[in-house]
Amino acid sequence: MWAGLALALAVYLVFGIGPMIGNIIISFTDYTELAFAPTHVVGVANYVSMFSSQSTAFYQGIGATVVFTVAVTIGQSAFGLLLAHKLVGNSKWAAIGRLLVFVPIALGVTVVGLVWILIFDPAQGPMKSFFDLFGIHSAFLGADGWSLGIVIFVQIWQNTGFSTLVYIGGLRAIDPALYEASAMDGIGGWQRLRRITFPLLAPSVTANVMLALVGAFTTYNLIYVLTGGGSSYGTQTLGMLAFNDAFGTNAETNLGFGAAVTVALFFMTLIVATPVLLYLRGRERRLLR
Amino acid sequence: MTIHRPRLVSGIAVGILIAILFLAPVLYAVMLSFESPVHFLNSPMTLGKPDLGNFSAAWSQADLGPELLRTILYAVVAALGSTALGLLIAFPVARRLVRGHAALYTFLFVGVFLPLSIIPLYAEARSMGLYNNTIGYIILHVEPGMPLAVLLLVASIAVLPGEFDEVAWMEGASYLSYLWRVIVPMVRPALLIAFLYALLGVWNDIIGPVALLSSASLYPVTEGVFTFYGSNSSEWTLLAAAVVIVSLPVVALFVACQRQLNLASLTGSVKG
Repeated sequence: MWAGLALALAVYLVFGIGPMIGNIIISFTDYTELAFAPTHVVGVANYVSMFSSQSTAFYQGIGATVVFTVAVTIGQSAFGLLLAHKLVGNSKWAAIGRLLVFVPIALGVTVVGLVWILIFDPAQGPMKSFFDLFGIHSAFLGADGWSLGIVIFVQIWQNTGFSTLVYIGGLRAIDPALYEASAMDGIGGWQRLRRITFPLLAPSVTANVMLALVGAFTTYNLIYVLTGGGSSYGTQTLGMLAFNDAFGTNAETNLGFGAAVTVALFFMTLIVATPVLLYLRGRERRLLR
Repeated sequence: MTIHRPRLVSGIAVGILIAILFLAPVLYAVMLSFESPVHFLNSPMTLGKPDLGNFSAAWSQADLGPELLRTILYAVVAALGSTALGLLIAFPVARRLVRGHAALYTFLFVGVFLPLSIIPLYAEARSMGLYNNTIGYIILHVEPGMPLAVLLLVASIAVLPGEFDEVAWMEGASYLSYLWRVIVPMVRPALLIAFLYALLGVWNDIIGPVALLSSASLYPVTEGVFTFYGSNSSEWTLLAAAVVIVSLPVVALFVACQRQLNLASLTGSVKG
């Protein structure tokens, strides 16, 4: 038992906690990948330049992260619930529906990204034809007012299946006897939904909202495929910004800046997610009492 | 039986919504993949004479088959690792066999919120010899799935009665065989969600390949198709064929597994 625990904790420390501590350390230096360049401790200089008004990238990044996270969390959780409610049954149609809704997750981020890049192609895509009907012309993923909205839509599109699956698991766990009892008491439809389904579904809601929230904060796989952070940095969330500083288009020689952004992202996630989790847990206790 | 007219109407509405949102985009990609490039340029929205040229071109120009197999290897092995290591932490914590189990739980809980520390991870991979090789890539992908696995498994194990423990210890069952034969069957739903979540994390990773791999011969399908897109970004029909080729086996696998993936068994495991 001790050997297993030690091994597992070692993996967690070396590849999870260690890199995060490394990030914090690097964020106080001007570390570069260049072998010949010496690394200096620069104190809080990276944080100063990050928070300074000259660094629009950081503030733009916070804006993009907040909009992306809020929209994806609400969209994915709500849409997943609607679909689960309709697809929970045993009919053939429900099974087909579940399959279709889950396919985007199985396709993976690049295929999903490419399909939507094709659909939103400003020259030949079907969305161009669709919006032409209304006389609207746009470069879509290349247009400032559009790119973030499209990225949010595709992120929800890809991941709603997972939320749906978790909700369906929760719905199926509800004891059918409760529904029968409520039917005998003459409670049906909306009342039944409000008094039985919602309360008993509370744990699934907690799980879904938390996974969507933390996922939206920290992931940028899909953004990388769709826009790489464009257009005009409109979809450059903090995760994307840190990556771009280190490996991407606006690679800086000072990796400390990207590390500082990652540290800021971690604390932002923690500060937002903890109260949400406490609220959802409290809600569970209240509803399940 | 009375007919619930409103329910029927809303059911049909959701059905149409699903067809437009989830079926149409996929069908569009399939349609594109069968069009000749010339026909697509002239009338992009109509189906011309089916042309299989895209498929043979995509298959020969991109490395799709091996990339798919590699991705499956990476994702399955790493996700098994995450789930197994998660169980090795979750059991002692849930059973309170270690001092400071509450602190340990909190310590793992924080891990759920960790963003990808890509720069130190890259430096670590280089110095530990994990950069740009298969085993290294898998090892580097074990950790991200662990925290959630621990949380889910602790919740499931904590509600199991502990008498089995004592019986098994008296019979002299080894720790691992006890976990495998007694605990694993009872927490299967939580294991399944943890495994699925870890699997999807590796499956969808495209940042990892960019930062941790340099040889195209090691690329998973995410990075492989993305590179292919980079060098053929205007040949839509060719790209669509590549998309269809990599998607078919995955969807087929998913359809085959759907019965195994008994949704009812997922219940109660998501209390976190």
